Formats: sequence, C-alpha cells, structure tokens
Amino acid sequence: MKSESYLLKFFLVAYLVVFFGYLLGPLFVMSITAFNSPGFPRMTPWECLTFEWFDVLAEDDRIIEGIKNSFIIGIGTVILSVIMGLAGALLLTQIWPKLRATYYTVVIAPILIPGVVLGISTLVFWDRINIMLGFTSDSLFNNGIFLTILGQSTFIASYCMLVFIARLQRFDTGLTEAALDLGATNVQAFRKILLPFMKPAIGSAAVLAFLASFENYNTTTFTFGKFPTLTIELAQKVRYGINPSISALAFIIIVLTLIGALAYEIYRRRQQLALANGAPLSAVSGGFQLPRIFRGNPAAVIMVLLALGGFSTIWFAQTYSPTECKLDVREQKRIIQNQRILEIQQQRQLQQQQKLLQGPDIFGGKKAPAAPGNTTRPQNPGKGSFGNIFAPKNLDKTGPKD
Amino acid sequence: MSKGVDVNLENVWIRFGEFVAVREANVNIKGGEFFSFLGPSGCGKTTILRAVSGFLEPSDGTIKIGGKDMAGIGPNKRPTALIFQNLALFPLMKVWENITFSLEVQGVGKADRRKRADELLEMIALSDQGEKLPSELSGGQKQRVAIARALCAEPDVLLLDEPLSALDLKLRQHMRTELREIQQRVGITFIYITHDQGEALTMSDKVAVMRAGIIDQIADGKSVYDDPATPFVASFVGENNVFRGKVKSIDGDMALIDTNRSGTLLARMASAAKGTLKVGDNAMMFIRPEACKIATDTSPAHNRLTAKVKNEEFEGQIYNVFLEGSEGKEIKMSLVNIGQQRLSARGSDLTLEYAPEQAVALPAGDLASE
Amino acid sequence: MGGIFRDFFDRNGAGLGIFLLVVVGFWVVILIILPQLSMLDFSFRHHLPPPEMGGPKDTYTIEHYKYLVLGAPGADTSYNVVDLGVFGRTLIAALFVTILDLVLCYPLAYYLGQSKGGGFVRVLVLLLIIPYWINEILRAFAFRIIFGESGVINEVLLTMGLIGSPIDFIRANIALYAGLGYAYILLMIFPIYNVIESLDRNQIEAARDMGAPWWRIHWRIVIPYAKPGISSGCTMVFMLSAGALAAPQILGGPSSLWFTQIIYQWFNQGGNWPRGAAFAIVLLLTCIVIVLSMMRLFKVKIGDIGK
Repeated sequence: MKSESYLLKFFLVAYLVVFFGYLLGPLFVMSITAFNSPGFPRMTPWECLTFEWFDVLAEDDRIIEGIKNSFIIGIGTVILSVIMGLAGALLLTQIWPKLRATYYTVVIAPILIPGVVLGISTLVFWDRINIMLGFTSDSLFNNGIFLTILGQSTFIASYCMLVFIARLQRFDTGLTEAALDLGATNVQAFRKILLPFMKPAIGSAAVLAFLASFENYNTTTFTFGKFPTLTIELAQKVRYGINPSISALAFIIIVLTLIGALAYEIYRRRQQLALANGAPLSAVSGGFQLPRIFRGNPAAVIMVLLALGGFSTIWFAQTYSPTECKLDVREQKRIIQNQRILEIQQQRQLQQQQKLLQGPDIFGGKKAPAAPGNTTRPQNPGKGSFGNIFAPKNLDKTGPKD
Repeated sequence: MSKGVDVNLENVWIRFGEFVAVREANVNIKGGEFFSFLGPSGCGKTTILRAVSGFLEPSDGTIKIGGKDMAGIGPNKRPTALIFQNLALFPLMKVWENITFSLEVQGVGKADRRKRADELLEMIALSDQGEKLPSELSGGQKQRVAIARALCAEPDVLLLDEPLSALDLKLRQHMRTELREIQQRVGITFIYITHDQGEALTMSDKVAVMRAGIIDQIADGKSVYDDPATPFVASFVGENNVFRGKVKSIDGDMALIDTNRSGTLLARMASAAKGTLKVGDNAMMFIRPEACKIATDTSPAHNRLTAKVKNEEFEGQIYNVFLEGSEGKEIKMSLVNIGQQRLSARGSDLTLEYAPEQAVALPAGDLASE
Repeated sequence: MGGIFRDFFDRNGAGLGIFLLVVVGFWVVILIILPQLSMLDFSFRHHLPPPEMGGPKDTYTIEHYKYLVLGAPGADTSYNVVDLGVFGRTLIAALFVTILDLVLCYPLAYYLGQSKGGGFVRVLVLLLIIPYWINEILRAFAFRIIFGESGVINEVLLTMGLIGSPIDFIRANIALYAGLGYAYILLMIFPIYNVIESLDRNQIEAARDMGAPWWRIHWRIVIPYAKPGISSGCTMVFMLSAGALAAPQILGGPSSLWFTQIIYQWFNQGGNWPRGAAFAIVLLLTCIVIVLSMMRLFKVKIGDIGK
C-alpha cells in the first residue's frame, strides 16, 4: 500500500515535470536564443553572449510600425467587443426563453467558426458593400484597420460575452428591483447597480480582448490590408528567414507577462490579506521588518529580484561587448573550415589518383568547400533579408558539432 | 412621517400563461394596518406582493393604493417600498449609501444624504456602522439596514417579503417585536408576506390565509386560529386533529358529527359553516391538541374519546402525547408542563375530553398537506 | 410578439433597450450572419476582374466546388486528389491533435480540480496561463527552434550519440503536432477542470471505499461526470486546430499542406477569391457537421460549450 502511493506520487511528479516542461520549455529555449550570437536563433552550440539582437529589434521599423498598428487595432477591438459582449450577455438574460437556445448558438458560433473563415467573410462582405455603394478601393470599407477591428470583434465579443455571462450568473436581479423600488429609473439602476457589479468582469474582458486581438493571426491575415500588425510582421519574418531579434522580442514579452502576472498576484494577496484582517492592518511595532508588502508574499520578493536582475542586465549590456568573443568564434570556425577544406582536398586528390585522370577536373577542387560553412558564419545581423537560406531544408548541415 | 394609505385589490387575477397564480383576490387593507399574507410556498402570496409593488401587472382587476389606480405605473413611481426576502442590500455600497439610495437617485446632495442617513442609522441603533459594507454586518444588522433603506424613501406602504426567514430563531423573535414597534412608530401600512404562522399571528392586525392562488380567509389572528373559514385554514394555521364524518344533527351553534372512526362528537359550527353546513353533509371537525384534556370522568359522552398512548415527547413548555384511537385513528394532545409527572406509560388506555366550543365543524374540503 | 417588446422596454427603459438591440443587432446581423451569407453567395460566382462584377458575366456557378472535387478541367486524375487529400489529412491531423491534448490534459485537469486549492495549485494555474499571453506566432517559432535540424533536440541527440544524423522533425510533422497541441492546451484543460472541480470528492472516496481500483473510478465516475467538459474541450480544440493557419505555415513540412493554407493561397497568391470562399465554406460546413454530430454522439447541448 505504502509503496504504491510512493509510486503514484512519483508518477504525478514525473507527469507534472513533463507537462510543464512541454509548456514552459519552448519559452525558455527561445529566451536563451535571444542572447546567443549566431545569426539564426539557436541555443546550441553556445557561441557568444550578446545583446545586439535587442538593438536590432529596436531599429526594426516594420516591427515598431506593427506594434503601433496592433495597439490601434487592439484598442478598437477592446471597445467594440466589450460593448457588444456586454449587450449580448444582457440580452441573453432577458430574451424570450424559446429563442434563447437559438440566440446563444448564433452568438457563440464565432468562437467555433475557424478564424480564417471569419477573416474571409469580413473581407468579402465589406468588399461587396464597397462595390455596391460605388466607393473607391481606398474607402473606409477597404481600410485594413477598420476590417481587422470588425473581423476580430466578431469572435472576441463572444469571448467577452462568456466572461460577462459568468459574472451575471452571480448577479442578484433583486438588486435591480430593489433600486427600481427605491425610485431609481432603469438607466439609474443600470448605471448605479449593474455596471459597478460588472466592473471587474469588464476589466478582465478588456484584458482578454486586448490579448486576443494582439495575438490574432488567422483572421487578421486576410483583413490587415496596408496595416500589418505585429503578429503579421512576425509571421512574415518567421516564414521568410529570421534572426534572433524575434527571440529578443519574445523575451521582452515573456518578461512583461511575468511582471504582469506577479503584479496581479501581489494585488490579489493584498486584497485577501486586507479582507482577512478586517479593515485597517494594525502595524506591529518594534524591530526591523520587511516592508509590509513583502511579508508572506513570495511574489513580491520575486518581482523585486526580477527588477534588480533586469537593471543589472541592462547595465551589463551597456558595458559588455561581444566583439572579441565573436572574433574568437570566427577564428575557430575558420580553422575548422580550413581543416575541412584540407580534408576534402586530400580526398579529392585521392579520388583523382584512383580514377587515374579519367577526365578534366570540372568540379574545381577549390569551389566545393565554399557552399557549406557559408551559412554558419556569423552574419552582420539585421542587414537585409536572408532570402530563403533558413528554410528548413536549407538549414546548415555542416555546422560544428562539438 | 407620512400617514399610511389604503391598499385595495379588486378582483385581481394574475396568470402566467396557463397557470393561474392568483385567483380573484379581493383585499381591502386599511391605512396604517399591519396586514399579513400567510400561506405555504407557491400559494401566490409573493406574486400579490410583486403586483402591489409594480414588478408585474395583474392580468385582470385593479390595484389601488391610496384610492389611486396603479395600472401602468412602474415600481419606481409607486409610493411603496419593498423589503426583499434576501434583503437585496447593494454589496458594493457602504451602509449609509445603501440607506439613502432613494435620495441619491432623486439627485439629493451628498451632505443632505449623509445627514438623513445618520438620522436613520440612529433610529435602527447602528449609528457608527455607516461606513461599513453590508458584508461586514451581522444578519440582524443587515435586516435593520434594509428596513431603514426602505423607510428612507418615505413610502406610504411598506412591503415585506419574508424578511425574517434567513435569521435564526432567537433573532427572528426579537425582530418580530422590533418590526411591530417600528410600524407603530411610523404609522404607515405594512404588508407582510410569510409562511410562518407565528410571525403572522404575533405581528398582524389582519391576516389573509392563501392556498394555491385563492385567499381562503381574511381576519384578525385570533379569528383565523379559533374560527377558521375552511379546512385548509384549520389545518395550516397551528396544529389540529381532524375528524371526518357526516352531520347528524344541528342544534343552534352546535353540530353533532357522526365521525368515521371515533363515534359521534359534538362541535361548534364555524362562522363560515353557518347556513352552509346541513344535516347529512360531509363534514370535518377539528380539535386542537391543546384543547384536549385527560378526563377524570370516563363515562361515554359526545365530547369524550378513548385512546391508547403510543408515544410521548417532552418539549419544555409542553408535553406532546401521541395517541391511537379506535381503528388506528391518530390523535395528538398537548399538555402544559406544570410540573406534573409523566402521566402515561406507553400502551396504557386514556379517556380524553374537550370543551365542545373549542372544537370546530366545517364543510369537508382540502387540507394543508403535511 | 408586441408584448415581448413592451416588456423588454419596460424593463430596460427606452434608451438602454434601443441601445442593447442596436448593438446586438449590429453584432449578430452585420458581423456574424451577413458576412457568412455574402461569402456563401460569393463562392458561387465566377472569378472576375472587379470592373466586370455585377456585369452580365456575373452569374451563379458551382465551378469552384466542382474544382475542389474534380480538379481542374483536363487534369489527369478524375478527382482533385491533391486538395481533397489535404482536406482529409487536415481533419485527421486535427483529430489526432485533439486526442493528444485530451490525453495530456485530463490528468492535470483532474489533479487541479480535485486538489483543495492552495498556493501550489495557484502557481500551476498561473504557469498554465502565462504561455498564452505570448504571441501565437512566437510560440510556434519556439517550436521551430527546438525541432529544427540544428535545433535543441537534434543537437542534444547528436551530442549524446543517439543518432548519427539530424532527424527532420519538421518534415515528419512532429513539430507541427507538438506546436498545435501546445497551442490549444488551455482550451482543453479549463472546460474539464471546471466540471471536475464541482465533482463531490465524497463520490470518489465512496468508490474507493467500495474497493474500486483507480482506473475504474475514472471510468465509471469521473469521466461520465466530466463528459460535458471533455466534449466541450474536444470540440474547441478540434475546430481550432482544423482551422489553424499560423502553426501549419510556420511548422508544417514542405510537403504537407493544411487546408487553411490552400484557402490562404487562393486569396493571397492565387488571387481567386471566389474559389477561396468556396473552400472556406466547405471547411465551415464540415466543421459544423462534425461538431453537431459530436454533440449528438455525446449528448451535449450547445449551452455546455464555453463554460
């Protein structure tokens, strides 16, 4: 019995490790690649610690422009979907019972409809409206921002509605009735009773909507027109050759996310503490104490450590230069390549000797080694496109394997 | 404070589709009266309350408050204030904001509201609790805040929907007295909904007993208890031993009932039975457990029964004795605890007697289900 | 009908009532229903240059659907083997991803749902959510780094001497399945977790008390109870992986297309919008049919989805 429970515990721990390894491993690996110097994001082999990819990122106008577009679209989508989701949820609580199932199916459908289909239908619909009304092709209805906001809101509003429904289920309609009974008008009851009650849900729906909008690809890829969002730009980069500046961006997003999550956790803890202790927290007197926020609050401690780590990293990045290391690596590679060239030349010579000069040497012994090795040499990052050399089949196969 | 006004229900029907929730209700409530609707859950009493407060329109008939027809007037325009079953205090507002919400929606300034809140808080003895949230108050305190909030609107009629049902027994009894006091102080009409007969009888000037959408009786508490209008009222309000049978003879106010299992017994005709209950009709007679006594004279009479003791319960102020009459007829008797010894061993035979005026005869009808 | 509207306006007041109706009407009619109908209509049109739209040549046709089934006129096969093959492969792969996620997530959902909360569980939930605040593209990209030919896994295996030459995970679609499975873990875990959380622990204790082994407890008690959550999670994961575009574009091997990629090509490279719309309609209808039959099969109502 005892050994069985140990076995069970072992399996549980092993499973959790595998699961969260799967979940967090990729993010970890990607973050590491942001600090490695090779031109293609990779964790192994480790070459040189570098921060240049952050500079590359900061100088990438398309990324910056994409972030700007993403923000504009995100804000528009948040406003539209929160309003529509809230109205949809309110109507659901009031609609004629016979219609309720149909109505729910219609407003929940956008979650299940493939995002691609939503993007296409939005594009097609507004294009036709545009033609019908006889507008030119640069009218509002063909505007990428307008289309993307509408396309995304179609399904993000459904997500928001789910958040609101969950909150509304805990609302006591008696409160609205009580307000009416006390002389409030419908609008007053809505504004003073229901809206304050929905406020936390509106907040979380807005955050959810913004995140969903920010990272949406499937719908946006059909509707963005002349205004590519960050996600679109990233996808272009990832598909057509990349350098670790993408990893640098990912690292920044991961850190921001962590800070956000920790801040939220701290906020929650404090609320709980305040609730548990009654109204004012009475200060305990005497002796040295950690500031109140840290007591029993590992999240806060982690956050401070994170901030310290961040500052020291930035300082380090300002002073540290990877040039020397990179030169070293280049030198090492050159040596290895030369060795290889020698080896190959020797092989060729051997072959030629064996073949006893059967024909002219069309393969040019000196040209052959030029092709491999080409892609492994650290490139000056951020200068133009890499073409297709990083497509999966072209990836370097001859890199040093030590 | 404002004077209480009359509330009149004239021929009110309320239907939900096929279902009739209230059937032909005619109720006249006088200004300043404490009026209760008493009935089991689902009898339609809350529906009536919601119709008076304006949350639903009657399908037929008129509701008048202070002589004015209320048709088409919304709940926020009626001179009523409702205290909800769960109180419906606004959880995100402070106590004082809750209390003066009715002023807030009228656009009264904050300083005036605060002043009024302090007056009302003093009235309900919660002077220093105004800054708290409702969730920080105890059950009884919440109760009083709900009352203050309703009174702040200076209504002519206060409607209360089982407001005490969530409280524990002690607090409930205390709040009964308090509610009655407040009512007498402010002098407005109270309409009170409850399924607890104790609440209805102790507080009310008048009680309407309801069953499945029908008002069976409207009378003061004592009449409802002592002179029920229907078998339902007799069996719902308080406890009663029921004897079914036929009317053998009628002599003035008294009727002799030939019961199915317990021989012929004498009972007073209820007021509602006079003129309608005839010799030979199916009848029901009711004897309250506390009306039964142990007879010293065991000779047969029309107000005596013999029964075997089955069980005895000691409840503190009373003993409940459960007996079995002839052919298994169950009878309950309650004896006041005046220090006597336990009077009966299980299985022993007893003779019971009652005062015939305390037994009530009615035409046969539906009983309240257990 | 009139009575309903009157009640509605009585309850909300005129201003708020009109506002609600207009907003929801805009969402349901202009954003949801009309675009789908217009896409349906568009899919039956000829592929015409813009000036000819609405002209005499703009008639209804089923050529695009014909194309999907039969292929281009004059092709050497009698059916459109390529596109239909991709379509079928997409659905099967989506099914595979769904099963993968279910197997992976059920134990964790059960563990989270049955544990009594506490700090550790909160941390786990936070760890679950954090990866999903990071861009979909970046998540797929991370898998590219891991599974690439010079990626972490190949490098590690090579260094350890387990393999002689790098394995092409991308060509074998392993990267794609791992990436898709990763993308929808949350959508599987939370519906199941929500249901299991409400399962009375005493039921499990009672079953254990009666001597049931752990697998029987799950088979007879937990899984039947969690069925709405399981089917809701499966439906969402299936639909979203069948309709995924980013992950296949980034992680898909050069030889294997996802059906959405074909649609994408008709819109962006092929420039034949009506054909893309027709393909999208086929994808939409197929997904609807599959979802409805799954719900029928598992006796789940639409109301259970999205809880």
